[in-house]
Amino acid sequence: METKSQPEISLLSWGANSYGQLGQGHVEDQSAPRLSDTAALQSRAVRTVSGGGGHSVFVTENGEVFVCGQNNRGQLGLGHNTDISTLQLCPSLNQTVTNVTCGWDFTLLLTDCGQVLACGSNAFGQLGVGPTVRHSADLLFVECLKDPVVSVAAGLRHSLAVTDSGCVYQWGTGLFSLAKRALSPHPIPSHLCSKVPCLVPGLDQKTPHLVAAGSAHCVCLTEDGDLFLWGSNKHGQLTTTEPFLSSPTLLKRSLLDGEKVINLWSGWTHIVAQTESGRVFTWGRGGYGQLGRQASINQNPEQQSAGALAEGGNQEVCLPAEVKVLNGATQIACGSEHNLAIVGGCLLSWGWNEHGMCGDGSQTDVFQPQLISGLRPLLIGCGAGHSMAVCAAATGS
Amino acid sequence: MSVFHDEVEIEDFEYDEDTETYYFPCPCGDRFAITKDLFVSGEIIEAPSSSESRLELAQS
Repeated sequence: METKSQPEISLLSWGANSYGQLGQGHVEDQSAPRLSDTAALQSRAVRTVSGGGGHSVFVTENGEVFVCGQNNRGQLGLGHNTDISTLQLCPSLNQTVTNVTCGWDFTLLLTDCGQVLACGSNAFGQLGVGPTVRHSADLLFVECLKDPVVSVAAGLRHSLAVTDSGCVYQWGTGLFSLAKRALSPHPIPSHLCSKVPCLVPGLDQKTPHLVAAGSAHCVCLTEDGDLFLWGSNKHGQLTTTEPFLSSPTLLKRSLLDGEKVINLWSGWTHIVAQTESGRVFTWGRGGYGQLGRQASINQNPEQQSAGALAEGGNQEVCLPAEVKVLNGATQIACGSEHNLAIVGGCLLSWGWNEHGMCGDGSQTDVFQPQLISGLRPLLIGCGAGHSMAVCAAATGS
Repeated sequence: MSVFHDEVEIEDFEYDEDTETYYFPCPCGDRFAITKDLFVSGEIIEAPSSSESRLELAQS
């Protein structure tokens, strides 16, 4: 007999699906939310969701890991290289996992002991296990990280971690060629060309506690509510005039109306930050609606030159500005060029929508956060071009 | 629909020796692919699958 206990939970997904990353048992893109096949989960509660280029990873409350999607580099950690289109348990895992971040074609898991496990492509050293491994379908410990890790982030071809000792480490050479072109003839700092975790300089007087990674930029949030940015500024995402910053550079708090930052997310080329008062600011590339607001030309001449230089003068200026409708958001997730948020218990989406990742049934880019109706979202996550939401089952469905 | 476009330096592509093809990630999750013999500056690469996105090869 059925007993009335826990509310029914469903996993919905939509967007790009070339490799089965939606977990729906097929490889057709979906422009509106649709149920994933969660038989393998057996009603375990999901704690966190993340996606890479073509894969998805779900961490349950009891520390297990479920995966689906592209597996050409072993990014699912299943010991083989075959794509799968429904969720499958990562069986070899004998650790309790608390968090996950997915790079383009690799995966980093954080355990309850603060260790980092890695699988997938290591073509750029992004697994942090040294240069001899080309890719790994088995989970490998990132052994060079000696102190417990509290935050980890994966970009396209690079990775970041914060340890409880307050150090930020970087590995993977994804930023190397950009750095070389920008800094030549000066030498490239070692954290930009290391295939094992390398201490990021310039943060030693700070208290880092969260990192986020774009396609070729890095962001670090400190306990004091300051943001430090480095890497590519191709789309003005570092809010500076330089095309590339090799070491962490403080984001002027005045750009966020003087408020401290409490949370941080990054797409490939744009950044989203929430301040202490719950306000949400976005900046960086905005041409596909990524910023959730009008990509207005700033009147401030200093700001204008920043954007003009960063973009070679041919794209919009996008310094931080508030997206008012996101005020008080309880969760935000960034895909490559699209975003999800939970505000007031409602699910909002905005940004690039060519593959239906905004979930409104169309392929038209969404320039302001819009409601995906009929869902009661509990947890959201994005892959590069796909979206996922754990929802309380909607009435009547 | 809006089409993703970016300009990428040749050296930023990942080369696959088996297929003699250069690859660069498309934000939709697929890969822009161009074979070795077509790999010249100024070339426009169409995205795979249903995507209409484009990548332009830039001169290093």
